[in-house]
Amino acid sequence: MALTMLVLLGSCNNKSHDTDDLTYWTSNNGGEIAFAQQVTALWNKQGGQQKIAFQPIPEGQSSEEILLAAVVAGTTPDIYSNIWQGLVEFYSKSGILVALDTLKGFKELIAERCDATTLAEITSSDGHVYQLPWKINPIMTIYNEAILKELELDSFPASYSDYLKAAKNYSKDTNGDGHVDHWLGNTSMKLAWYQRLFNFYPLYLAASGGMPLIKDGKAVFNNKYGIEVMTFLQSLYQNNYFSRQVESAGQDLFIAGRYGSKWTGPWEIEYLDKFKRPGFQYNFTTMPVPDTHQGPVYTYCDPKGVVIFNTCKNPQKAFDFVRFMMTEKNDLLFLQTTHQLPRRKGLDTMASFKNYFDTHPHMKGFARQSHFVRGSDVSPHMIEVLDIISQEYEACVIYQKKSPAKAMEDAEKAVNILLKTLD
Amino acid sequence: MMKTSIHRTQKNRQQGAAIRMVSPYLIHLAVFVLFPVLFSIFLTFHQWNIISPMKYTGLDNYLHLVNDRLFWKAIINTLFFLVIHIPLQLVVALFLAWLLNEKIILRPFFRASFFMPVVISGVVVTTMWQQLYGLETGVLNQLLTAIGLSRVEWLSHPAMAMVSIAIMATWKNVGLYTILFLVGLQAVPQSHYEAARMEGASPWQQFWYITLPAINPTIFMVFVLSTIGGFSLFIEPYIMTDGGPLNATLSAMLYIYRQAFGYYHMGYAATLGLVFALLILLVVAIQKRYVENTENA
Repeated sequence: MALTMLVLLGSCNNKSHDTDDLTYWTSNNGGEIAFAQQVTALWNKQGGQQKIAFQPIPEGQSSEEILLAAVVAGTTPDIYSNIWQGLVEFYSKSGILVALDTLKGFKELIAERCDATTLAEITSSDGHVYQLPWKINPIMTIYNEAILKELELDSFPASYSDYLKAAKNYSKDTNGDGHVDHWLGNTSMKLAWYQRLFNFYPLYLAASGGMPLIKDGKAVFNNKYGIEVMTFLQSLYQNNYFSRQVESAGQDLFIAGRYGSKWTGPWEIEYLDKFKRPGFQYNFTTMPVPDTHQGPVYTYCDPKGVVIFNTCKNPQKAFDFVRFMMTEKNDLLFLQTTHQLPRRKGLDTMASFKNYFDTHPHMKGFARQSHFVRGSDVSPHMIEVLDIISQEYEACVIYQKKSPAKAMEDAEKAVNILLKTLD
Repeated sequence: MMKTSIHRTQKNRQQGAAIRMVSPYLIHLAVFVLFPVLFSIFLTFHQWNIISPMKYTGLDNYLHLVNDRLFWKAIINTLFFLVIHIPLQLVVALFLAWLLNEKIILRPFFRASFFMPVVISGVVVTTMWQQLYGLETGVLNQLLTAIGLSRVEWLSHPAMAMVSIAIMATWKNVGLYTILFLVGLQAVPQSHYEAARMEGASPWQQFWYITLPAINPTIFMVFVLSTIGGFSLFIEPYIMTDGGPLNATLSAMLYIYRQAFGYYHMGYAATLGLVFALLILLVVAIQKRYVENTENA
């Protein structure tokens, strides 16, 4: 029944535009809709090109479900932006995406935007590239500046031991009910796989200097970095330095001053500027790292890309539009409209972006961080891999039922069985 | 001969009309019930992620299910939920129905109030209760600490989370069963109570020897409906706990959903669904047999 409904949902794609137009689905985020409106209008105004009709992805439980429904019903758009990098391999292995590296202009576009590492990250296991890296939202530590004064610190703690020390000093019971009600940090306790992209995974990348979770079809995260991250996180919960509150809609204990920091992306800036209390000052810094860490601090960048579905009658034309959408000028338009970073090398040093970053200093920090980011590994089973890590995370970090070493070992075994069974 | 032929033609016409009249239902049944069921059974022998071609896997899905620790944990969790939820629901619904059957002031208001949660979206109710259950900021814990009691880890303690969900589910659904009990109570002839009172029966004896036997069919109906409803536990753990903590609230439906729409293991999800449906049938059959035996005794 659910499958039948999925197909019906997917087939409800009312094409109100000219049938020769190429269709472009964007996310239903307000900023991205505004950007899509502007960029398609600019493209269509040029004349002599195949026109683009854009629409936000239809509403549903998640964009993944809607895409899947559209694939089943054969109503996929020609172009879709905002696809999570970790999902592309699943679709490409099913043969429903156009290999973009076979199209004219691909090499030039990639050379302009990406370095070799990013290109390797987006290259599918069959050697083709099915996605164009479009935007990133690096995960960093946001902190309430008031805590620096309170803890007499010059800067927010960067290493695990400094972080734990600050967390110990900051934890307090202000109303005297016997329970701590102010914590240095907070991160989601929820089990959902994607929550690990905002705590375990960026910490693992930071500790390991950007190492993958999976390599050559095997789990590689059971190493000293993975164990160090689990140990650090476990200490935070074991010592009650992090809250065990399951967050829900309508609450923001960071704004309320109960959490001193959290791990988040640049979307927080717009939200905070809208809802923060008067006098509330915040800043961003890198993810905490082990005491022995040296070199740059990497993080997860929540990468989203653009794909062309093989139902597209004219992939080259679709690709030409995508190239237009990703010109330096339109990347700036995207940045200004959405306050999300285009995935483009040298973002913080480009002359055309200077004015934006000068007027948005917090975003400049994210742009600097964009030199040291990683996306997702290439596997069609990333969701399950993260789900397995999530199970072990909960048992080890939140409830301390397992040692970090055992949790990593169990996760590694489970992931290897999964990859062996399904690949 | 002629008469028989006319009779046959009339009969055929009547049959044709009958078929035409029931055909919309039959079509609906075939498309939305029969086909999905048969297709699901077919899927249990395949590996399929919706968008790639199906792969025949024989009995692999069934063999995997036997060794799937998480599925059996989900089944036990669901049964645990039923053990708390059904008695709680029966007692509370019967008590409220008894109250509403008395001549109390604002009776229509209370009837509507108790029924209100039934018509509110499950997502809204769940989100509201999630806030009530909040560890640090939840109203329930604030009340508990205000009167000097310890706060409770409603949703974050593995032993407590399913109990919390059962309490919330009872609050959400009790109105419906209250109305069913109310109808049952109102059907009991007043003369039985009058006769019992004349014989000196206490209120408790009246309830035990008159009311309960009279509403036995309603109790069975509520029992079965609660069981089936309880087996389909999904929205509450999906929104509130995502099956945690430590899989303590992972219900069978949530696990099947995760396999189907989280990992796109359609074949395996269909296998889980089929086994789970058979389990529900078995439980309902046992319930029916038990009630029939009780009635006969």
